[in-house]
Amino acid sequence: EVAGAPGAPLDVQSLDANKDYVIVTWKQPAVDGGSPILGYFVDRCEVGTTHWSQCNDTPVKFARFPVTGLVEGRSYVFRVRAVNKAGMSHPSRVSEPVAAMDPADRTRKGPSAPWTGQIIVTEEEPVEGVVPGRPRDLSVIEATKNYVVLSWKPPGDKGHEGVMYYVEKCVSGTDSWQRVNTEIPVKSPRFALFDLAEGKSYRFRVRCCNSAGVGEPSEPTEATTVGDKLDIPSAPGR
Amino acid sequence: EPHLNVSKAKKFTVTEGKHAKFRCYVTGKPKPEIVWKKDGENIVPGRRFLIFEDREGYYTLKVMYCKQQDTGLYICAASNALGNTLSAVQLSVKGPPVRFK
Repeated sequence: EVAGAPGAPLDVQSLDANKDYVIVTWKQPAVDGGSPILGYFVDRCEVGTTHWSQCNDTPVKFARFPVTGLVEGRSYVFRVRAVNKAGMSHPSRVSEPVAAMDPADRTRKGPSAPWTGQIIVTEEEPVEGVVPGRPRDLSVIEATKNYVVLSWKPPGDKGHEGVMYYVEKCVSGTDSWQRVNTEIPVKSPRFALFDLAEGKSYRFRVRCCNSAGVGEPSEPTEATTVGDKLDIPSAPGR
Repeated sequence: EPHLNVSKAKKFTVTEGKHAKFRCYVTGKPKPEIVWKKDGENIVPGRRFLIFEDREGYYTLKVMYCKQQDTGLYICAASNALGNTLSAVQLSVKGPPVRFK
């Protein structure tokens, strides 16, 4: 943040998109920082990348700039920065994406032969997988003598990959936890257990896993007795 | 097969042990069928070769933990009822930096 620099330009839009250029317009910032705005810089970024490049070498005076040198068929977003003698503003909010193509191609409905853009290769750092955290808010949502249904929420710090779950049960009063679905982790945050011994009381807990490993278990549930009577916990607030 | 000028294929280099991500934007109606090839052979998806369409609609090939033998000409070939086309890039995998003790 440079003291005395202008505010960020507003309302960046792209007009009259074409296969070789797009006209970008904007509104001047609400504050000029105390000295007149000398001009603007327009930046563009191809959708799907994070690389911003500056389109004009010298600041443009008017709040309108034709951006050229676009690759046909690719989509772009734009942002604008204002400059005065104190320095550069923060970039504006990013425009809506626009594809560099002729209006006729944009609206053409009929079939078209395939077109492939240039392949872009990027190197990525192999990231060590992160073991997911604990599932949250585990509760018994249904309990009968035949089955018990558990429900929970995924961990807040879920990694990029799909998280799956292992359910564990423990006879109340003991500390011996036993995994219920030993073979296949479940994908949805919900699980029904059958084959519980009638009259016995159980606690349950759930662990997350992904390709990096199995995480810490959730807080265990209260003890739930398997019996004739429906043992549904009362709704919250009652 | 469309004509392919190999010498004009863009060259990219990645470091051994890193992932290489190839992204290709494809248009066409009906939606073209996409095949990734390396040195003329179809790439079979597997543990080290992921093939998917990413969130922005780019057809993507990811080669995990690149080895020297992944060096070669990679092609994204698209075809539908109206025709076929392709884009190619040349990948080289360079050895990791030598560490002196």
